[in-house]
Amino acid sequence: MQPISPDVPAARGLLDREDLLELLDRAVTKRVTVISAPPGSGKTSLLRAWAERSSNLRRVAFVSVARDQRNPEQFWRAVLDAIRSSADSTDPETHPSATAVLDGNQVADSVLLELAEHVEPVVLVIDDLHELKSAEALTQVEHLLAALPSSARVVLSSRRDPPIRLHQLRLADEVAEIRGGDLRFTERETRELLAASGIGLSAAGAAALHQRTEGWAAGLRLAVISLNGHPDPEQFVAEFSGTDRAIGEYLMAEMLERQPSEVQRLLVRTSLVERMNGELADLLAGRLGSEQMLLELEEANAFVVSLDAQRTWFRYHHLLADFLRLELRRTLADEVPDLHRRAAQWLADHGDVVEAVRHMLAAGDLTDAARLVADHSFRWVLDGQAGTIDAVLQAFPEGASADHPDLALTHAAAELNHGRLEEAAAQLALAESHVQSAPPARRRRLSVAIASLRLALARRSGQFTDVIEQVNLLDASIADNSNDAIAMDSELRAVALLNLGIVETWSRRFDDAERHLSEGAALAQAIGRPYLEVACRAHQVFPTTRVSLVSARERGRQAVALAERYGLGDRPILAPALGAIAFWAIWMGDVDEGESALRRAWEVAEPQIDPAAAVLLHLVTGQFHSARGQHQAALEAFAAGAQAQSRLTGVPALATPVVGWLASTQARLGMPDEARETLAGFSAETGPMSFIFNARAVICLAEEDPAGALDVLRDGPGVTPPTGPAFTLVETYLLAGIAHLALGERSAAAAAAEAALAAAEPDRLIFPFAMAGAAELLDALPRHETAHGALLADIVDVLRGASTPSISRERLSQPEELSPSELRVLRYLPTNLTRPEIARELYVSINTVNTHIRNIYSKLGARDRSSAVQRARELRLLSTRRS
Amino acid sequence: MATLPGLYAIRIRGRLGATALSAFPSMVSELKGSETVLTGLLEDRSAVYGVLAQIEALGLELLEFRQITAGPPARARKSPSSGEDASPG
Repeated sequence: MQPISPDVPAARGLLDREDLLELLDRAVTKRVTVISAPPGSGKTSLLRAWAERSSNLRRVAFVSVARDQRNPEQFWRAVLDAIRSSADSTDPETHPSATAVLDGNQVADSVLLELAEHVEPVVLVIDDLHELKSAEALTQVEHLLAALPSSARVVLSSRRDPPIRLHQLRLADEVAEIRGGDLRFTERETRELLAASGIGLSAAGAAALHQRTEGWAAGLRLAVISLNGHPDPEQFVAEFSGTDRAIGEYLMAEMLERQPSEVQRLLVRTSLVERMNGELADLLAGRLGSEQMLLELEEANAFVVSLDAQRTWFRYHHLLADFLRLELRRTLADEVPDLHRRAAQWLADHGDVVEAVRHMLAAGDLTDAARLVADHSFRWVLDGQAGTIDAVLQAFPEGASADHPDLALTHAAAELNHGRLEEAAAQLALAESHVQSAPPARRRRLSVAIASLRLALARRSGQFTDVIEQVNLLDASIADNSNDAIAMDSELRAVALLNLGIVETWSRRFDDAERHLSEGAALAQAIGRPYLEVACRAHQVFPTTRVSLVSARERGRQAVALAERYGLGDRPILAPALGAIAFWAIWMGDVDEGESALRRAWEVAEPQIDPAAAVLLHLVTGQFHSARGQHQAALEAFAAGAQAQSRLTGVPALATPVVGWLASTQARLGMPDEARETLAGFSAETGPMSFIFNARAVICLAEEDPAGALDVLRDGPGVTPPTGPAFTLVETYLLAGIAHLALGERSAAAAAAEAALAAAEPDRLIFPFAMAGAAELLDALPRHETAHGALLADIVDVLRGASTPSISRERLSQPEELSPSELRVLRYLPTNLTRPEIARELYVSINTVNTHIRNIYSKLGARDRSSAVQRARELRLLSTRRS
Repeated sequence: MATLPGLYAIRIRGRLGATALSAFPSMVSELKGSETVLTGLLEDRSAVYGVLAQIEALGLELLEFRQITAGPPARARKSPSSGEDASPG
């Protein structure tokens, strides 16, 4: 679908119907005009003529609904494009929606915003509204009309009365209607049309023609085409008046018959496609020169319409197209499948996959169509074109995916994209059961796609148990660089690498993850897929045998910077990167940086679609509170983390730190029994077990059993120096030191403290000192005896910071709940964006933003933006609260 | 709300030619004066609306759209004598 430019020169043979133009002028003084009349009444011609004439006086945005439009998002995008291209200056930079992924509702909101933003009056013309077959989109049109800014006007044109409630507007006298009767040619207009077309016909002949056609515009125009150059116009009219054939069919048949044979051939064979350019028309007509013929036809009559200002794309008047299609099937039935195949091939080669699929299905080539769809489904998901997938899938016969694994696969991708996990799993099982029957050349691509989707499904459900073996399969499949692999499209390969890398990350196979995510990111960059690139980079944030902690932290920052450069800074996929930045910052004692990264992480995160990342964020939240000495808040966060972790199956992810820190915190808050219960309820899989041993030692210390603590620590794995950062070893030494101190063994305590400092030094692991409550122990260490004075000074700073909790971080009484939309707007208040800019960011109207801000102020008891921000910070609405 | 297959009669203004008639392959046509009457079994409601859409798309003028029998044609109505005709005329 594309907006029709009103600049297209009006076809000859069209009459400027002055009375009607004035009728429409009067109509648009009302907010809404409805033109409702049967096909061929001249609705589009009138609207085009009016738009062309009015363009000096006001902005006219003209959009024609694509045939059988079922996709609200595509519909609104076309409307939005029409409005934007009707503006004098179009600055693409200010219109981010071209790349952003939006649903129909959001685009509909942007339309409203766009209309509201302009002071000069805008008339939005929506032609062929009867082709809009989406109830959702029609409801959105209704909302648009109800909320229309006062300077804007809407003209709806349809074959039937649109199913839109207008009674409120009618009561306010804001609806004008133009119906079939208004559009009929008068006898005077009939005479003018004939004269303007250079047809000499007697007054009686003109009257007979008018009477026979009853002023029906299409009938008159068809008659004019046949009369043009007719040897005996009176004879034609007499015959026409004398026959009792149906008017439209008679005149169309007459018109067609009077065309030269090559034009007939062109018209009939090209009626198969919705729109054509010269090249496609040549291909279907089987001869050259179609473009010239189409141009001449457009100039000669209103039944061929060019779709762009350059006049390279054409379509037929719907009435004629339907007639020609019948004629094609009636007279050339044998050729129809071949013509469909030719059209499909051309359209597929030129990127119009949706139409290509339609033609393949019409030709009965179900398998080819399924394959084409499957080959594009990953691209569509990545492009945010979920609606396209849905529309294409609807074109297939019901139940077709039972026989076509490619189709089942696409269904699975679509279901997954909609968050319908069970349906996605069912379709994947269906696809899987057919893999072996697929042709060998397709088999591998199918297996990789299925494995990748299964991993993606596991990522969203947190149920990793069944997919772990798929990881090895996928790893082996995509490592193979044979010709086979080249046949796999890059999008699929990059998606597979991403899914593989993420599952490996949460399986703690960090080296494998590193390998796959690096390759995935590089490939994504090469093929211009920013989202995939960011998604890969956002998970490359854990230290490995080759990547140091400092590098991992830096990579997190780079992933965030990259996302911001691409305008993807608010995507949920960024949560792991932001969470990791916070995690490593707090480990290294930069608690303030950790706090701001953590706050942002919660803002972008969507725990329900990425449960593993949610575990990380809960863990870091608890860690942050621990670093600040807020043990109760830390306990709640760790408990939430443990619960989120328990919903994951099959991967260790962050199980041991979450459980270990939860138990330690319980013990420190005087709940050693609960702490033991926590540890007892944890069945070890893999992961650094030293977190668990340290927690046991903390419990002993809390029960005033320092000797027991030392026993536990001696049994633990922590005393052998690990490779990589000494995350738990520092705490192990500290706990030993605290135990020695409690036993009165000061020199052993000092030695343990010094060992802890030595272990912490390489990666500046400051957090364990706060977590363990090591202040007293460090006091026991004579300053001049340590070789780590600078680190010690930093540690003391952090410990001091923790001991002076600021009032603002205390929990305050809960205010009236902010709604999710209000919370979304609230997020932008600390920025320097203006209200219109916030509205644009959120794809809502400025009025909506104003309302939300009013409500936010009132609920928070704030007077202005800065006091609202301050109050929201106090209430922690800008950090960890998520719905 | 399952609609049983039914026999329908459709009256259209003007005599239809071969092209227009090919749009209604499942119906039998009969030319009556300056009208065309299409008669045929329509499977369900979708089929009914499909025929209506064709009539609209071809710019034909619909005069009457009437169900002659509901359900299996064999089942006769209770009062065969009344000769009731649901057509609005």
